[in-house]
Parts: sequence; C-alpha cells; structure tokens
Amino acid sequence: MSARDQILSQLKRNEQPAEHPGPWRSRRNFADLAERFTDTLNAGKGEVFRAASYEEALDQIDTILHELQAKRVVVNDTAPLEGMDVKERWPDFEWFTAGKSEGDIKSFCADADVGLSGADAALAETGSVIISSGPGKSRLATLLPPVHLAIVPTSILTSDILTWTAARQGKPGANMVLVSGPSKTADIEQVLAIGVHGPKRFIVVLYDD
Amino acid sequence: MTATMHEFRHSAFVAIEDIQLQSAIEGATHKFGSGRTAALAEVPDVEPMRDHFKKIRSATLSQLATHLETFEKNATAAGTQVHWAATGDDACRIVLDIAQRHGVKLVTKSKSMATEEIHLNQVLSQAGIEPVETDLGEWIIQLAGDPPSHIIAPAIHKTRHQIAEMFTKETGQQVSADDIPGLTELARQTLRQKFLASGMGISGGNIMVAETGSLVLVMNEGNGRLVTSTPPVHVAVVGLEKLAPTWDDAAVWLSLLARSSTGQALTIYTNIITGPARADDADGPQEVHIVILDNGRSKLIGTKYEEVLQCIRCGACLNACPVYREAGGHAYGNPYSGPIGAVIAPLLFGLDKYSGLPHASSLCGACKDVCPARIDLPRMLLELRADEVEQRVLPWWESMTERAAAFGIANPSLFKYGTALVRQLQKPIAKQGSLNLPSKLNPGQARKSPALAKRSFHDIWQSGELDNANGGEQ
Repeated sequence: MSARDQILSQLKRNEQPAEHPGPWRSRRNFADLAERFTDTLNAGKGEVFRAASYEEALDQIDTILHELQAKRVVVNDTAPLEGMDVKERWPDFEWFTAGKSEGDIKSFCADADVGLSGADAALAETGSVIISSGPGKSRLATLLPPVHLAIVPTSILTSDILTWTAARQGKPGANMVLVSGPSKTADIEQVLAIGVHGPKRFIVVLYDD
Repeated sequence: MTATMHEFRHSAFVAIEDIQLQSAIEGATHKFGSGRTAALAEVPDVEPMRDHFKKIRSATLSQLATHLETFEKNATAAGTQVHWAATGDDACRIVLDIAQRHGVKLVTKSKSMATEEIHLNQVLSQAGIEPVETDLGEWIIQLAGDPPSHIIAPAIHKTRHQIAEMFTKETGQQVSADDIPGLTELARQTLRQKFLASGMGISGGNIMVAETGSLVLVMNEGNGRLVTSTPPVHVAVVGLEKLAPTWDDAAVWLSLLARSSTGQALTIYTNIITGPARADDADGPQEVHIVILDNGRSKLIGTKYEEVLQCIRCGACLNACPVYREAGGHAYGNPYSGPIGAVIAPLLFGLDKYSGLPHASSLCGACKDVCPARIDLPRMLLELRADEVEQRVLPWWESMTERAAAFGIANPSLFKYGTALVRQLQKPIAKQGSLNLPSKLNPGQARKSPALAKRSFHDIWQSGELDNANGGEQ
C-alpha cells in the first residue's frame, strides 16, 4: 500500500460526521478605509503618500525616485501603469519592464535600486497591499531591490482579510503576496532591525481614483 | 535528544542558573505575551471568533481525509506535485530524491518546524547537499549547531556577542556586537548570495487551503518569499493537520495566527503559492512540490489526543507558561517546546523518551487560556501522566513509592506509624527543617523538601496545648 493510501485509510477509519461552520463575517466598519490603511502602514514602518489623482501620483513617484537617487528601476507591467512608456515619463532612470524588456530579470532585480509595482487589492485594517503574479508581474521586482514602491488606487481598498476572502473570485495566480511593511526581524536579542531579506523600505503612493 | 524526568529536571536547573538566558527568555516571552494581549484586544468580537476557529479546526480534523483529498486534487490541477510521507525518514528521502534529480548542491531554507522535526538538514548534509537556513534566527542556531529554543524565536538563547563572533567566523568580516543593524546587514548580504545561487528552496507551510490547493507561508523577514521565488524548484514539507478547507477558514486562521504569535495583526509577508510559475508569468519556480507529512499524526485522530492537532504553532502557550519561562526551550529535548511540546513530543516521538515532559507543567491552565484554538493542553498533560502509569513508563521505585504513599495515607494508623518511622529515618539528612536529598532526587539543589516536623499537627491538637494558646475563645 502506498504511503498516501496508508495515511488516508488510517484517517478515514476515524472520520466523524461534522458540521463545518460557515464563514466568519468581518465586524469591522471603518469610516475611512484610506485613512485606516495609511495610519496602520505608517505605524508598521511603511511609508504612505497620498495623492488626489493618478497624475499627481505619477508626479510623486517622480519625486520619490529622485529623492532615492535611484539609477536602475524594475517595473511590473500592470494596472495602473500597464502599457505605460515609463522611459518617456521618467527618462532619468534605467528601466526594466517585467515581461517586456530583453535580458534576465533576476540579474536586473538583484542590482536594481527600486522595484515599482501596482496592486490587486489592499487591506485597510492591516495596511496590506496584495500583489498577484502573472504576465508582466514579477515577484522578484517587489522582493530583491532595497526599495519596493507601490502605486495603489483607493478603489481597490477593502476592509480586511475577511472581506477580501469573502469577495474572492476565480482561481488564484501561481503566487499572491500580502505585504504589510518593510522586511523586519527581531532575532538578535529581540531588537527590531529593518530590511533583513526583503525590501528595507516599503513606500505606497495611494491615490484617489 | 530525549527528555526523561531526570533529563528535563537537570536541563531545567542548568537553564535556571543561567542569568543571561533567564533575562533573554523573560524579555522575549513578556514582549510576545503583552503584544498578543494588545493585538487581540483590538479585534471586535475576538472571543466568539476564537470559538468559531475552534469549531473550524475541530470539524476539519473530523473529516481530514476528505479535505486532504480535495487539497491534493486542486493542488495537482494547479501544477503542484503532491507527495505523502508516512514517516520523517520517508519525507527526507522524498526531498533528497527531488534534490538529486535536479543535481542540486546548495539548498536555501526558510524556517520550518516540520523539517526540524524530521532532521532534514542532517540527511541533506550527509548526501553532500549544503542546506542553508535563511531565517536570521535559524541561521544563527545553524551556525551554532543548536536546536531552536522557541517556536517563533529560535535563537533567543544567543547573545549579540556570541552572534557577532559566529558571523565573523563564518564571513571573515569584522562586525561589532553592538551594531545590530550591521549584523543584520551582514546576514542580508551573505544570505542573498545563497538565495541567488541555490538550486532548490525548502520551506514549511502554515496552511494548506483545500479549496484552491494553495499553500500559505507567513513571515516577517521575506526569506520565505525568496526561498519560494528565486530557485527553480520549491519543496514544502507540511504536517497533514495544517489544513483549512476554505479561504473563509484560512482568513480566520490568519486573523488569529500573527496576533497570537508576535502581536502583529498580520506578519509582514503572507505568501500564497498555488503551483509553479505559469507559462506566461514573469518569473517564479518551474516546479513546486508539497510533501504532506504524517510522522505519527494520523494515529492521533479519533483518540483523546486528537485535539492537539488543532495547533497552528503560534507559540502563545510557550510565552504564557511559567515552566517554559524558567526552563527554556532546550530542556524539552526536541524542536517543540513549552506546553504544546510537552504534549506533542511524547505523542509523536515516544512517551518513554519524553516521559519528563507531561510533568513539566504546573497545570495552571495559562496555555489553554491563550491558545487561539483553546486547545485543552492541561487535560492532555494529565492523560499522558495516566498513560505513563498504565504503560509502566516511570521507574519502578517511583510507582512503588506512590502506591505505598497512597496506601499509607488512606489508613490512619498506618499513616501515624509510617510518619513516625520517617521522622526517625530522616534524621541523618534533615538539617534546619529541610532535607538534603541526593542530586539524583533533587537536581540543582535549588529547592529543598521540608523535613517532617518533630510533632504532627494531629499530635499537638490532641494534647490540648492549642486551647490555651487560643486566648480563651470557645
């Protein structure tokens, strides 16, 4: 008998009828999702910039990239930046667009200064940004560079993880990540240190759309 | 390693004498414990939510085979290769086979209690494959050759000075012990090269979600994303009980896990893996394997110990436990310490080898109070003690002593003459009201058993002396 059959038959011998509980509904009722998102992520050592429009958000990205003195930037080709000619909009930087640029994305990301991404959803309660993999959506872009910069419209905000899973539709991509701040550790004498493996800074430009 | 009664007591007393260790454990457990309290207080209806979670875990285990089959079907449909391992050795062999098939020489690992449990690193090393732990705490204890001392903070027993010394030895670079950001940066640079060079990533898993065949990994450092995104092959080893039938269930699980563990609402990264990279994905591993690990778990289903499989490894019971907070993690002699370790180690690895652990508790109930699934650990500790007697695991003289004492206490005249005999026998070892027992019976000699008083209370009462001392009150 295979290990699989052995384990399953052992479990089946002791199966009991059970009524599986239904979903637990979120009890949250935030008056202002954007405000809660901003406060929570800022408190968790992330950095949130608010913009009144998409155009203003793009201007803020320009300012942030210059202030970071970025040279090499990797960008995910996804909403709201999808199809945008980043080289024309921000000519001062060397760009690699996931899914489009020639060359090895892993080696570009390993030396990039900033990874720029969109987001699929965002959670107000925990200040989390949800990013899915897919065509033009690199995982390494949001992971290897020391700075992860995300542009997020307020329309994709939802209250919390319970409301997010309740609204979930279709099959998930190969990878999905909830990011709730910069990489952190307290493994040396419980002292908080930022940026151990993932990005040292997590910056979100949150704009009204 | 084992933890019989004598071994546990001995290691616990060594830990109690270690002032540095005591302050490290005190600091960490207090920080996690108060963080947990604050994080849960912020959630509306959190107590009914915990009750709901208990129902989810209990109902899931009642139908575990069905849910595992659903998980397997959906994970396979997403391209994940699902393996089943009856024992730890089987799991190691499966992982080793995958590594050898791909000609892997270097493996990066993210923190996983399951792979600690099966001693995977030893098996890989013996086969000439270098496993590198990448969680900062796990890397520290790997360099030191130590087992983890806390489920979520494996290196709390190491000081910054010891860590700086090990890092310098490993990397050849000088770094000041007082520069913790500098130590962290050195780990980042060293391990980054390992991530990029490794042919395979190994992780554990926090939740398998049956509905979509997804694997959820939570972490703060980001190493669990690197391990599962950078190398071409990802292998996860997951205990078969870590299963949520639906995403609704997983959302409640995640709402309680980090809050109970570190006091965070969510960890920095919640990484969800549903198969290898799709054909048109920008990057990601070409192969994803999930090894579903039994290793003694399935036989607990349907027994009085089934409830222990509701555990989600948050570590809250360790932080709450007065015994763990004194004894530290290493005294438990296996990767799982604290109250959960005291129950699960005897069940998975043998009651005879871990006979001391069911006694490593004051049965105060703090572990049950803080457990997100309200697992009744004190009940199971008592059940294990009963099993020890029934299975005659304890040394013969201990059960003889217990039986003699029970018989004597139940019989008033025997009790009277028995204690009179002990009063005579104790004379050579009774000093200033306490007994000087040999170290075998009292390791560490930190506390002393009181000697029997010269006269019993019964004796004094009968003599009428107390009536006079009472101030005339009738």
